[in-house]
Amino acid sequence: MAESAVMGSGSLNAGNRSGSSKTSTSPLENYQLARRRTLQVVVSSLLTECGFDSAEKAAVETLTEMMQSYITEVGRSAKANCEHTARSTPTLSDVVITLVEMGFNVDTLPLYAKRSQRMVITAPPVTNAPVVPKALMAGQKRTHPAHIPSHFPEFPDPHTYIKTPTFREPVSDYQIVREKAASQRRDVERALTRFMAKTGETQCLFKDDTSTFPLIAAHPNSIPYLSALLPSELELQMLEETDSSEQDDQTDTENNPSNIMQDDSGGDKENAVLPPGGGVPAGKVNEENMIDNPYLRPVKKPKVRRKK
Amino acid sequence: MNRKKDKGFESPRPYKLTHQVVCINNINFQRKSVIGYVELTIFPTVVNLNRIKLNSKQCRIYRVRVNDLEAPFIYNDPTLEVCHHESKQRNLNYFSSAYTAAVSAVDPDAGNGELSIKVPSELWKQGDEMKVLKVYIEFSLDQPKGGLHFVVPDVEGSMAERAAHVFSFGNQNSTRFWFPCVDSYSELCTWKLEFTVDASMVAVSCGDLVETVYTHDMRKKTYHYMLPIPTAAPNISLAVGPFEILVDPYMHEVTHFCLPQLLPLLKHTMSFLHEIFEFYEEILTCRYPYSCFKTVFVDESYVQLSSYASMSIFSTNLLHSGMIIDQTPLSRRFLAQALAQQFFGCFISRMSWADEWVLKGISGYIYGLYLKKTFGVNEYRHWIREELDRIVEYELKMGGVLLHPTFSGGKEKDNPTPHLHFSIKHPHTLSWEYYKMFQCKAHLVMRLIENRISMEFMLQVFNKLLSLASTASSQKYQSHMWSQMLVSTSGFLKSISNVSGKDIGPLIKQWVDQSGVVKFFGSFAFNRKRNVLELEIRQDYTSSGTQKYVGPIKVTVQELDGSFNHTLQIEENSLKHDIPCHSKSRRNKKKKIPLMNGEEVDMDLSAMEPTLTNADSPLLWIRIDPDMSILRKVEFEQADFMWQYQLRYERDVVAQEESILALEKFPTPDSRRALTDILEQDQCFYKVRMQGCFCLAKIANSMASTWMGPPAMKSLFTRMFCCKSCPNIVKTNNFINFQSYFLQKTMPVAMALLRDVQNLCPKDVLNFILDLIKYNDNRKNKFSDNYYRAELIDALTNSLTPAISINNEVRTVDNLNADVRLILEEITRFLNMEKLLPSYRNTITVSCLRAIRMLQRNGHIPSDPSLFKSYAQYGHFVDVRIAALEAVVDYTRVERCSDELQWLLDLVQNDPVHYIRHKILSMLAKNPPFTKAAESSLCNEALVDQLWKLMNSGTSHDWRLRCDAVNLYYALFGLTRPSCLPLPELGLVLNLKEKKAVLNPTIKPEPGSGGPEVTANMTFTSTLEEEQHVVIEPALSGVAMAPQGLKRKAETPLGSSPEPGQIMQEEPIVKLSVKGRFPGTQEEEDIDMDTVHDSQAFIYHHLNMLERPSTPGKEPSSVEQAILSMPGTPMPLLSKESLSSKHGDHHHHHHHHHHEHKKKKKKHKHKHKHKHKHESKDRDSHAFSNSPASGRSIRSPSMSD
Repeated sequence: MAESAVMGSGSLNAGNRSGSSKTSTSPLENYQLARRRTLQVVVSSLLTECGFDSAEKAAVETLTEMMQSYITEVGRSAKANCEHTARSTPTLSDVVITLVEMGFNVDTLPLYAKRSQRMVITAPPVTNAPVVPKALMAGQKRTHPAHIPSHFPEFPDPHTYIKTPTFREPVSDYQIVREKAASQRRDVERALTRFMAKTGETQCLFKDDTSTFPLIAAHPNSIPYLSALLPSELELQMLEETDSSEQDDQTDTENNPSNIMQDDSGGDKENAVLPPGGGVPAGKVNEENMIDNPYLRPVKKPKVRRKK
Repeated sequence: MNRKKDKGFESPRPYKLTHQVVCINNINFQRKSVIGYVELTIFPTVVNLNRIKLNSKQCRIYRVRVNDLEAPFIYNDPTLEVCHHESKQRNLNYFSSAYTAAVSAVDPDAGNGELSIKVPSELWKQGDEMKVLKVYIEFSLDQPKGGLHFVVPDVEGSMAERAAHVFSFGNQNSTRFWFPCVDSYSELCTWKLEFTVDASMVAVSCGDLVETVYTHDMRKKTYHYMLPIPTAAPNISLAVGPFEILVDPYMHEVTHFCLPQLLPLLKHTMSFLHEIFEFYEEILTCRYPYSCFKTVFVDESYVQLSSYASMSIFSTNLLHSGMIIDQTPLSRRFLAQALAQQFFGCFISRMSWADEWVLKGISGYIYGLYLKKTFGVNEYRHWIREELDRIVEYELKMGGVLLHPTFSGGKEKDNPTPHLHFSIKHPHTLSWEYYKMFQCKAHLVMRLIENRISMEFMLQVFNKLLSLASTASSQKYQSHMWSQMLVSTSGFLKSISNVSGKDIGPLIKQWVDQSGVVKFFGSFAFNRKRNVLELEIRQDYTSSGTQKYVGPIKVTVQELDGSFNHTLQIEENSLKHDIPCHSKSRRNKKKKIPLMNGEEVDMDLSAMEPTLTNADSPLLWIRIDPDMSILRKVEFEQADFMWQYQLRYERDVVAQEESILALEKFPTPDSRRALTDILEQDQCFYKVRMQGCFCLAKIANSMASTWMGPPAMKSLFTRMFCCKSCPNIVKTNNFINFQSYFLQKTMPVAMALLRDVQNLCPKDVLNFILDLIKYNDNRKNKFSDNYYRAELIDALTNSLTPAISINNEVRTVDNLNADVRLILEEITRFLNMEKLLPSYRNTITVSCLRAIRMLQRNGHIPSDPSLFKSYAQYGHFVDVRIAALEAVVDYTRVERCSDELQWLLDLVQNDPVHYIRHKILSMLAKNPPFTKAAESSLCNEALVDQLWKLMNSGTSHDWRLRCDAVNLYYALFGLTRPSCLPLPELGLVLNLKEKKAVLNPTIKPEPGSGGPEVTANMTFTSTLEEEQHVVIEPALSGVAMAPQGLKRKAETPLGSSPEPGQIMQEEPIVKLSVKGRFPGTQEEEDIDMDTVHDSQAFIYHHLNMLERPSTPGKEPSSVEQAILSMPGTPMPLLSKESLSSKHGDHHHHHHHHHHEHKKKKKKHKHKHKHKHKHESKDRDSHAFSNSPASGRSIRSPSMSD
């Protein structure tokens, strides 16, 4: 909130500066120009009050600038004071404190306001009210419920938090579903492969045109049979969905907590499930093993007497 | 080699091998080297066994000891360089005979070998007592090019983590490539095998794994194998790698091995192996002969499967998961084949190469029985027909395939197969394709024998062979029973006649002893008056690959009243055969028609009405030799409606397939209807329906102008595979029914072959296929759709037609045809997706590459080989590489590009994968860049030289590859001198030389005891004397000789080296020169300078040698005679021998020298001089040598002092 205030004043300043340049035509700038002119009128009337008959343009300009700065400062400080006390809108006391802090004797203010020779100035024209760029209006802005004090910030625009259910009829027509699935998949594939082709090395079919049919370059693989023979992850997923029974015995040895707990006694069992040839610990003798296969037997330790 | 009457087996060797130890101590994957030793236990069968010839190639031999005594040895391998450099011949006739001679010279079946070991004289006496000799040989292999293959992937990690492995391989008997042995299928012995490997590796070999022991440092372990069943060396194998081990859950003595990470695939692939075991054991009523069985799956395999004693090595690419449909039957077939070969091929071996057909025949035959049982009778008959067609096609094209060649005395004039550009005398000279056809014919002939004597007897014969062998195998060597384990043609035939009591002599004579197939032409007329079918059967027996058939033939006639078999006798001059018809009645009333199988069907006989010629004929269809009991091709003429009836109603798949083939010639609406009905008929065998699709496409194209309705098969496909509610969308995939899966795959491919009147693929069809691709949805499918998608791409490829090009414009994206653009979109996307989600065996990439090449060839996109070259690199999956290489080969032919041809030939020499090298050559031979007939800029002298070098010496490590190179050379240049070569200086001589070349193979020393014995004596004794001679030698002939040696080394192409030690051959050469001289005196003009030098050196040398008094009497005189009449020698082979014999001599002195040194320490001075000289010489030869074995014993005593 503080920021927006600063921004506001900043934009005012900016408005001033751009106002002096003659190219400005936007409604916002027009509005600011009007404000500035009002301020000038005020300065001029104050000068008249003080008894000046005429003033140089530069002097009026300077005074206007000072006036604007002063008011801006009052506004900024008041805002700061108010936020300091955890409120969002400045109250009278905020302004009073501000003025006091700025070295202004507040007591003189009523008298000054009631002075006789005060000139009445017409309000700035309403017609050129600022055209706020229209925020997305979605639904109605919610007001605070009863338990939230009104000084609390307002709800943000509804579009930032509202879920808008779409009530379109789900497409049940088989043809369209298939059509959609097919074109969607094709689009995804095309986008993906194009992306890969763009980001990596490519080969091309036409020497003059490398972009129309980009082919991802073929890279030799050091173990080509693995990717060619093993089912891809996608296929594995599908297989899991269709039947998970086969997968069980594999995960068994690794993930089953009971297996880990019995590891001391049940190590042989694990042996039976095919350790790689080299990894068989010589210590684990598998007597209870059902399968007697020479390749599963433990490797013997060298005999001392062996010579050859 | 002739069929012997007696059962006994005569060994060509003067000793019998009983036991062999092979110990490999170290396998270094980094350096790709192997160190080990072998120990052969042999029984001399002659008195005074003084020389032992063994086979060894590539091995560097460090030392040889016989019974702990150092033994000198000589290594000579004439196959390393077949024709020596001085020859400018370049014609294939010459090469083939020289190559055959070279192979014969080391053929173990003739008692020869590359390695010749002299038995120390101390042991000679032992011969009398026939004591055991133990021959101990230390050897090493460094980066072997053949025999053992190392696969070492280039990734991070230890060798085990990198899945590095090594395995043995080879074409036929190739064990000599990795250890010294008697590399013959007929020399059986028991084995002890030891392999010390890294602790993380597994060594799988033949026999029982007795134990595995760590080495002392615990970093390695030794696998000890025992093979108590006598086994031939070629059946020994080894595979070492970080294999995952799977014990077969049904048979615990069976163990499977695969590379890391593939275990789940292995489990699935092997899940049914026990069924094959059960089947074979049941039909053979014989247990599996070995106590265990191992299967190993390796990468970069030489062939898909190779069988060895108690183990088989397969390509890892046969492994598949449960989601893959197409690979499953293929892999199962390979496993079944491998197991059949365990019984016949490994356990039962053969006596000689001429008996190979029995083994291949039996194993192929029982494999066929397995197919019948597992895949059904339809599949079996379909397969038999396919095999028959293959062999018939091959023989008619290339000339006959001879199963049982007989060679009388090695005279080349009696060459039984003069039509071939290679010799069939040895397995190693055969073209690979011929060998495949040989196997195919062998099992077909076995089936013919079965037809003759019944399956029951057939199986009894097998059982008899097996039980004899297994009795013999358990005997000790001394019982002389082991030859029972060798099968011979005569033994097999005797068994058959004993068991069945039938004489199958004529059958054997026709199909086994004779090559060629029978070609029948049949036609018929119906004689209404006599109610007789007049059948005419003619034969063509004059074209190449054919033979005349005389004997019975079965003819089946389907009439209205039923199906009748007739057996006709084909005789010398009778062409016409009258067959009385059974059905007199016209089809007046609707009656069911009985078929052959007893079924009765309703037929719409209206199709018979309009034919005028055969009015009132009761004949529905006629089949000649329906059981395929002759190896034949039948071209039979009958009316289109008869073929249609045959297709619709004959229940035999072979008949259906024949009729489909015949209907291609009858593009009529009736044919269309018949085919469509078959396609819809889901009881019909799916392969028939698939074939029907293609036939329908052809018919539709012939009928393009009159075709009514939607494109052929479109509505059919829609009805079968598309959604009911929206017929343009295919159902989501569900391949649970394999028959319809195969049909679904095939139909689009066939449809894409449709062409409209403009000869373009109809727009409808293309869009239809594109829609199939678009709507393909495999999410709910249990099976992978990779093959289906690949075939859809094939369909797109088939739809392509040549681009219409205006003014040869350059092909750019902008002027791309709209349809082609769509096709290209799909291909691009598929090919790119494959990088992210690779399909099984990369089938999709393979299809895409083919499609791209097709687009190029049809001129839609610029022709460019670079894409294919990148896919052909080492490191892509082998199928992808082959597809890419095929495209490059095609490019080379179409664009006549010498760069690409060069690139391909470089790959042939350098690619790490043997299979790829083989495929490149065979693809080039099949699709040659040019042929003899056509002029081509590619055909030039450099290419001739390169190919010549390739087959002459560049492929000495791989028999198969060498024969492939010969095939290519034949395809490019034919048998004679390539036309692009400049005329030889003495053009006339060429022919004479050729004649000479034909004579040359007599170099082969005669087998038998007498000849070699004399030779040995002579050479060894003479070199003894030569001790003194050596020093003087340079003075005599050194000027001429020394530069000779150097020159030859420098010129030696492709790293083949001058072989040390030819001395063993010296004597026969001398003889030859005598023989060769007399008829050929007029040939003397033809001498190029090289030969003059060489032969002079040769003469000098021999003069020196032969003038010595100790040389046995008779020989020198004849030699001198020869020399006198010989100003030089016209024979390149001879000069080669002379040259190498020179080297040989030196070495020989050298060995001999060591030998002497031990005993009597004399002649120090001479020896030392001699030694130094030879050391430097040896070093030289090493520098140039690629052949690791040099005839030098490094650790022999004379070196160490």
